[in-house]
Order: sequence, then structure tokens, then C-alpha cells
Amino acid sequence: MSERSGVGLVELAILEALDALGAQPGQPYQPNAMVLAAVEDLIGLAPGYAYEVLLDLGRPWTMPVSLISPCGNFGSRGHDQAADFRYTESGLTQAGQVVLAAERGELAPVPVGLINGNTHRGGTRPPFRPQGIIEALRQVSWHCGLSDAELAALVGPPEFGNGCTVTGDFAALAAGRGTILRLEARVSVGEDSVVIENLPPNANPDDTAADIANRARPHDWASRYPALHQQALLPLKDLRDESRAATDTDRLVCVPKAGTSPDQLRDQLIDVYGVHTTVEVTLPQPLAVMLRGWVGAHQDEDLPASLASLQDAIP
Amino acid sequence: MVAADLRTVPPAYPAPVLAAAALTAQDVSFLLVGSAALWRHGEPVTVADTDAVIDPREPNLSRLGAALAAMARRPTAIPRVRDFPLLHLVRVGTCYGNIDCLLERGRLDWERLSGSSARVPVADVSVPVAALADTWALRRRFKRGAGQGSERG
Repeated sequence: MSERSGVGLVELAILEALDALGAQPGQPYQPNAMVLAAVEDLIGLAPGYAYEVLLDLGRPWTMPVSLISPCGNFGSRGHDQAADFRYTESGLTQAGQVVLAAERGELAPVPVGLINGNTHRGGTRPPFRPQGIIEALRQVSWHCGLSDAELAALVGPPEFGNGCTVTGDFAALAAGRGTILRLEARVSVGEDSVVIENLPPNANPDDTAADIANRARPHDWASRYPALHQQALLPLKDLRDESRAATDTDRLVCVPKAGTSPDQLRDQLIDVYGVHTTVEVTLPQPLAVMLRGWVGAHQDEDLPASLASLQDAIP
Repeated sequence: MVAADLRTVPPAYPAPVLAAAALTAQDVSFLLVGSAALWRHGEPVTVADTDAVIDPREPNLSRLGAALAAMARRPTAIPRVRDFPLLHLVRVGTCYGNIDCLLERGRLDWERLSGSSARVPVADVSVPVAALADTWALRRRFKRGAGQGSERG
């Protein structure tokens, strides 16, 4: 992972390749086959492997600061796979350009790695709100004398995107201890239905819809254990998947069975995996130590300028 | 099995606890460990998934294979039952979340763990749960940094 941006080796090679091919913001997209060939020239990684990383960089649900602008089918969070790299294209985002400038020493370092985390790839560092990290680093670099708790409050809780709700022991996370966060979709109750939107980004919407449907089917042990069956069975009359993959919008409409109110169904739906998920998170050090360490390592450079550039680059 | 100090039965159960009860309802012999077991012991943890130490004897492995096939999102992704004695762990995605079947732990520790376990009610099913001390000991051993009082999945 780069000291100057926190971006990984393969990610950087992809950004370098896009820049070399002239895929700056406002310029035409470049075919990913060409981008990946350039990556192979740079670091020797075969296109099929590098493509997985490229897809993550361009998928809007993976990380708060997108470094690549995608063109074509980059896949969905559900079962739809991305198109082959011969049929998709990419360009650099403004943030991608800022990362490259920081890497080349044209700008002071930028905290993209701190913001994006690595939970999208099975790691344990969560993503944070970009503005929160940027403002906290500003305060540290200005020697404002904020306490650890004040810095953690400025950063705020992890933000996984997609509008899902995050709950958990944020104090433990900020103190550098491992904890489990719960990500929950927005579940609203209508007159005769329950609407599930904004599924957590690590939920598969197709699997979630299937799981809700499966939880509404009787089990063959139902007659032997009627009380368990009643607990496990969702009182669901109908399920409509009104999600739109093209806009990455989740919307599941659940209609309760007769005798069950939408409120009762809502309480049960929230516990279905996918409507909520859990993420195991930990930071390598307490959050305030990480922030102060990052500023301390780069204090001889113009951090206010690079932080301002990054802030301007994030839509 | 010995008595254990377990919390009063709550009105509703997290999905991973229901998964354990569903395994029991299908006559699978196992011990619940992990966050679901800690929750059932009254520990203040977020329940992440279902961790089950599996009784390694046949025909239990065949019953486990059948139960997992009935519960799995993708039954064809489950390893063959004849390979279970060679596997460390089988993770299966179900409509109750992920079930982690700890096969090697069962082969190594079944007799000891089951000797100190307790059966606890989940609705009208009696689910076997490892003793609190054993559950914490397993977590400390297999989860880096997981000490009693710190929350880990």
C-alpha cells in the first residue's frame, strides 16, 4: 500500500495505465483490454486478475472515493456479472487524478486509503465519510489541540454507502479494538406493505429476495416443531422485486399475510440476513493515533493544499 | 449435559439462533458456539452467524449434509458428505445467514465440549450450546484479539 495515498500496488498501476492512455476526466474512455495490457506491462499481472481490481475501483458501491469512472457493464451487487473486459471501458475520475498527483510528488499525500478502507475486499478496515477524515486531518495539521474523542467525533461512524444504517460500538472501533458493525437497509411501512430499500452494500439483492421468499415457505419439520416454525416463518403473502440494476436501486415490496400487520412483518424482515448484514471491523491503531501519525509522517509537505484538492475532487 | 446459567427465553431470536434450531429440528447433532452461543448465554454481543461444532460420527454427517442441502441457497455448492471427514470447515449460505460447520473442531474436541454443554430452549426446540467458558476459549484461540468482553464475530 502506498505511503502517499494508501492505494494498493495494482490499483496504482491501473491509474497509471489510464493516465498513460489519455483517459483523464473529460477525455474519451479507454477500452479496458488496452488498460489491462498496459497494467501487465507495468507490473506483470495478467488481465484476468487485474480486471477484478479495476471493477472494484469503478463500482460505486465499493468505496466512498471512486478512482475510476466506469463505462459499460461493471456488474451488479446481485448475480449479474460484469461483461468481459473486451466490452467495457474506463476513465480516470478527478479523485484518481489527485491520487496520481500525490504519488508523483506533485501534491502532498492524500488519505484515500484511510477513507476507503478495505472491507470491500474482505479486510477489516471500514470506510469513512470523506469529509470527516479530511476535516479531522486538517484539524490535526493545524495543531488545534483536539482530544482523541473529539477527533473520532469529527470523523464520525464508518459509512458504507448506499444509504444503509450503520450501528455498533463505534467507541471500541475508534479505540483500535475489534468489533462487529450491523448494517441495515431502510425498511418503511406502508398502508398494506413493507418496502425495503438501500440494502447494505455487502448484501446481494438477488440472494436477499430469494432468502425472504424461502423464509416464507413451510418447512418439512413444521408439524413436529410448530412454535419454531412460527418463529422462523415469515408471514408473507407476496414479494415484488422492484429493484433496478441499471441505477443500482434496491426496492423490495413485501405484502403481509392476512392477520399480520405491516409493522409485525417489518420487525421480522429486519432480521433476515441481507436486509441487515454484519461486518467485522478493526483498525490497526486507535483512530486518533492513525490520524496524528499520518499528519506527522507528512508534516513537511503542503497537506492543506492536497486535502483541498481531494475534497474538490469528490462529487 | 450439565445445567448452565442461561438468560430467560426471549420473545424473538436472531436468525443465526433460528438456524441452529432448524439444524436441531432436522436431527443434526452439533454444539452451538461463536456469537450466537454467547448471545444465548446472555453476553452483550452482536450475533453475526451460526458457528456449529459438528458431532463427527456417522450417520450424523449424512444428516448434516441433508439438512444443509435443504437450507442452502445453492445446494450444489456444498461439498460432498464423503469429504466432510477431510474438511476443516464448511460454510453454507442459507436464508438464516451463513452457517459455519466446524468439522475439524468436532473431530478433535467433540467428547470434551459436549460433556460440559447445555441444552437451551429456542421456541419448542432444545438446542445444544457449548459452555460459556468453552465458547470464550474457542474464540480466544481462533479469533485474533478476541478477549472476554471484547466483541468479535
